Amino acid sequence: MRGNVRLVVLALPLVTISLAGLLAPWVAPQSPTSTDLSASLLPPSGGHWLGTDQLGRDQLSRIIWAARTSMTVTAAVMVVSFVVGVTVGALGAYLGGVVDRVVTWVVELALSVPSMLLALAVLGIRGNSAPNLILALSVVGWAAYARIARGAVLGYRGSPAADALVGLGAHPIRIVAVHVVPTAARPAAVFASTDVGVVVLTVAGLSFLGLGISPPTPEWGQMLVESRPYLDSAWWLWLPPGLAVTAVALSSNLIGEHLGIAPELRRWRLRRMPDASRRTVARGVGRDAEQPGPSAGPEPLLRVSGLRVDLDTPAGRVTALHGVDYAVRPGEVLALVGESGSGKTVSVMGPLGLLDASARVTGRASYQGTELIGAPEETLRQVRGAGVAVVFQDPYAALNPLRTVGSVVAEALRPPARGDAARERVKELLEAVGLPRPDVTIDQYPHELSGGMRQRVLIAAALAGEPTVLIADEPTSSLDVTVQSEILDLLRDLGRRRDMAVVLISHDLAVVADVADRVLVMYAGRAVEEAPTGALISSPLHPYTRALIDAVPVVGRPTGTRFATLPESDHVSAGREPVDGGCSFAGRCVLREETCLTGAIPLSPAAAAHPDGVGGLTGAHQVACPPALVRAHHRQHEPEAAR
Amino acid sequence: MVDGRRQRALTGHVLSAVVVLLVLTFGTFSLIRVTPGSTAASIAVRQAGPGASQEQIERIRHELKLDESVVTQYGVWLTRALRGDLGRSERSGRPIAAEIGEKLPRTVFLGLGSALLALVMGFGAGIVAAVVRRGPLPGVLRAVALVGVSVPTFWMSFVVIAVFSERLSLLPTSGQSGPVSWIMPWLVLAIPAAGTISRVVAVSLSEALRQQYVTAARARGVAAWSPTVRDALPNAVGATLNVTALQLGTLLTGSVVVETVFGWPGVGAWFVDSVTFRDSGAILAGVLVFAVAFILLTRTIDVVQTAADPRLRRTEVR
Repeated sequence: MRGNVRLVVLALPLVTISLAGLLAPWVAPQSPTSTDLSASLLPPSGGHWLGTDQLGRDQLSRIIWAARTSMTVTAAVMVVSFVVGVTVGALGAYLGGVVDRVVTWVVELALSVPSMLLALAVLGIRGNSAPNLILALSVVGWAAYARIARGAVLGYRGSPAADALVGLGAHPIRIVAVHVVPTAARPAAVFASTDVGVVVLTVAGLSFLGLGISPPTPEWGQMLVESRPYLDSAWWLWLPPGLAVTAVALSSNLIGEHLGIAPELRRWRLRRMPDASRRTVARGVGRDAEQPGPSAGPEPLLRVSGLRVDLDTPAGRVTALHGVDYAVRPGEVLALVGESGSGKTVSVMGPLGLLDASARVTGRASYQGTELIGAPEETLRQVRGAGVAVVFQDPYAALNPLRTVGSVVAEALRPPARGDAARERVKELLEAVGLPRPDVTIDQYPHELSGGMRQRVLIAAALAGEPTVLIADEPTSSLDVTVQSEILDLLRDLGRRRDMAVVLISHDLAVVADVADRVLVMYAGRAVEEAPTGALISSPLHPYTRALIDAVPVVGRPTGTRFATLPESDHVSAGREPVDGGCSFAGRCVLREETCLTGAIPLSPAAAAHPDGVGGLTGAHQVACPPALVRAHHRQHEPEAAR
Repeated sequence: MVDGRRQRALTGHVLSAVVVLLVLTFGTFSLIRVTPGSTAASIAVRQAGPGASQEQIERIRHELKLDESVVTQYGVWLTRALRGDLGRSERSGRPIAAEIGEKLPRTVFLGLGSALLALVMGFGAGIVAAVVRRGPLPGVLRAVALVGVSVPTFWMSFVVIAVFSERLSLLPTSGQSGPVSWIMPWLVLAIPAAGTISRVVAVSLSEALRQQYVTAARARGVAAWSPTVRDALPNAVGATLNVTALQLGTLLTGSVVVETVFGWPGVGAWFVDSVTFRDSGAILAGVLVFAVAFILLTRTIDVVQTAADPRLRRTEVR
C-alpha cells in the first residue's frame, strides 16, 4: 500500500519528536536544568551538539525535555477533548431529541469563539499551572470532536445495520459499547491526527506569552522568549526550538492533507503529464482522409477521419478512440450510438479541444475546410459556438448556478451584442426554443427552471452563435420521458429550419431511431457499423448492433422472449486492446471466429458482400465484422431463411 | 422592496449572536467569581489597600456587591456594560472602556492590513496554483502554503526580526514609526491565514474548473479568460467564504502574539498584560471585545454568502 507508506513518512517527524520526549530521561545527554555559567552561550560543538544557552544549559537536552513537556500537555488535552467530545457527541446523536438539540447548540457555541483567546482568559482567571493549561485548551477543544462523533453516529443510526441490531433485541449498553462508540471514535481519531499540530502550536504560543508552563521546566515557546536578547548573536538559541514546533505542526498538517483531500491532489498531479496538452497532427494513422464519403450529397460541414484519442485516467493512459471516421452534411441528423465508454462523446469533443488538457487527440478533423486538430486555441475558439455548437447531457451541470439564463445565452451571441440589442436577441432565441415566457425566463437562475426548460436554455445558447453544426451529447438522458421526445423534435426541427447539421449522441438506439437520418454504432472506441437509420434498424449486420436492437423491450411481447441482454466480459470498458488488435467485441460475441482475434477489422461496405446491392444493402451501409458480412451474403441468396 | 424573509433571517443572526455573547460573558464571569484568588476576597483586599481590617474588607465587598449571588452580580455588570461602563482596570485604575477605546483602533489597523495581505496572497497563490496546473509551480505553492500554516507566528516573528532587523538592518523591530514598521507585523500575522486560504482556493477552484458549466462556456466560443473568471471563480469563491471568515478570525488570535513581539500597543498586547496581571475585569472585557469582533466577522460573511448565491436567496414568485 503506497498510501500507507506515505502516511508513515509524513508522520515520522511527529512520532520521532514524541518518542524523544517520552524517552527524555534516557535520550537527553545532560540535565536540562543544570547550569554552568562558565560555559554559557557556547556555539554548537562536539560536547554540546546544539550549543548552550545563557545559563550554560545544554540546548539539545532542553529541546528534548521541552518535547516531553509539550507532548505531555498536548496528549492530555487531546485525551480530555477526545473522551469528552466523543462521549457528548455520540450521546447526543444516540439519544436524539432535546439532548441532541442542546448538544448541537453548545457545540456550535464553543466553535463560534476563538479558542486561544478563551484559553488565555481561563489561564488569566485561574492562574498559571499545567492542569489549568490543559483545562484551558480543552474548554473549546472538545467541541470539534463532538461534532464529528455526532455526525458519525447519526449516519450509523439511520443505517439498516442499526435497525437490525435493535430488531434482534440487542441490549442498549451492548449496542453503545460495541457499535456506537467505535463508530464515533474512528473519524474522531482521524481528526485527532491533524489536531495535534494545532494544540502543539497553541501550547507553545501560550508559553511564549509566559503562560502555561513556567520555568525552569523547559518548553519550546518559553525557550524562544528567553532567546530574544540573542536574536543577533546566538542562532542556536532560537532556531532549533522553532524548527521543532514547525516540524510537529507540519507533520500533522501533511497527515491532514493526506487523509483529507489527498485524492483531490492526486487527480491534480495527473494533469501535469509531460507534453500533456499538445495536440499533434496525425502521423499516418492508417486510414486515408481523402476516402470518399459513404453517402452522396452536398459537401460535409464537419468531416472527421482517423480520429484517435488517448486519455489520462487514474488507471493510467487509456486509448479512448482507435481511429474513427464520420461526416455530417447540412440538414442531416447523424446519430452516434453506443454504450458508455464507447467513445461517442470523445469523438465530438476531441476535435473541438473540449477534452481535459491532458487528452492527446490525433487524426484529422476539418470544419468547412479548417483543420481543427493541432490548430491553435484561438482558431478552435472561433469555430466553437459560431461554427460548431454543443448541447450537453446534464443541463443542470452545464449551467453556471450563479448566472442568469440571459447572461449565459448573451455571451454566446455571434456577432457579440450588448445591452438592449442583446436582450432582444436572447428573448427571440428563448422563444425559438419554445420557452413560453422569454421575458421572465431571461432573468431567472437555473435552479428556478425545470430540467426540460434548462435544456431548452442550453439549446438557445447553442443557437446564439448561429452555428452550422449542432452537437447534442445525450441531450435527453437526464430528462423525464415525456420531455425527451419534445426536446428531440425541437432539435430535429431546428436542424431542418436552419439547415444545420446535427450530431446526436445517445446510448439508446430507440431514442435516435425516430430522429436520425444516419446512425454510426460505436463499440470500445471503434465504429462497428454505419448505415441509414432505416437500413440499420431493418437489417442490422454487426452482432453488437443486433444486440442493441434486441435489448429494446417491445410492448405486448411476453416477458422473457426477444429481450436479450449482452453477456458481460473483460472488454466492456473502452481502450482494452483485444488480442493482436482483433475485434473488441469478440469477448461478448456469438459469431466469433478464430480470425476475429487477429488483425484490424475496418468498416467495409456491406454491398461488397453482394455487389448487386439487393435486399436494402447499399454502399451506405458499412460494417466492421467479416462473419456478419458472410451471413448477410447468404441471407440475400436465401431470403426465406432470414432471421 | 422590503424582503420580509431576509429581514427575519437577519434578525435571527443578530439574536443568536447576542445569545452567544451572553453565554460567553456569563461563563467567564462565573469562572472569575468561583475561582479563589481572583474572586471577591482578593479584589476587596486590593481595593482596601494593605493592612486593611477584616471589617473594611467586608464593607468593600458589600459596596462592590461581591456578597450577592453570581447572577445578580452578572446583572449589575451587564447593565453597566450596556451603558459603556466596563469597570476599572485593577492594573492602572483607569476605566477599562477608555483603555480599550485607545488601543482598539491600533489593533483594527493591524488586523485590516493583515487581512488585506492574507486575502491578496491567499487568493493570488490559490488561483495561480489552480489555473497553472502544470509544471513545478503548483507543487511549490502548495508546499509554501503548508509551511506557512505550520510555522508558529511567534517564531516567524523572530526569524524575520533576526533577518531583516538584526542582520540586514532594513526594518525596525518595533514601534509604529510609519509604513516601514508595519511591514513585518502585517506580514507575519497574514502568512498563516494566507496559507490556509490559498489551499482552499486552489482546491475549490480546480474543482470548479472541472465542472461542466466551464466546458459548456468554452464550447460557446467565449474569450479564453471568460470561463475561468466568470464561471469557475465565482463558484469557487462562494465555497471558500466560510473558511476565509474563520481564517480572518484567527488574525485576532495572532494579533495577541504579534502585538506582544513587535511592541504594538493594541488590544492584543493589552489583553496579554491583563491576563499576566490576572486583572479579571479587564480579562472579561477583553473576551467580550474579541468575541464581538469574531462573531461580527463570521456572521457578516454568512450574510454576504447568502446574498451572493441565488440558490440561497428567496425565490420570488413571478
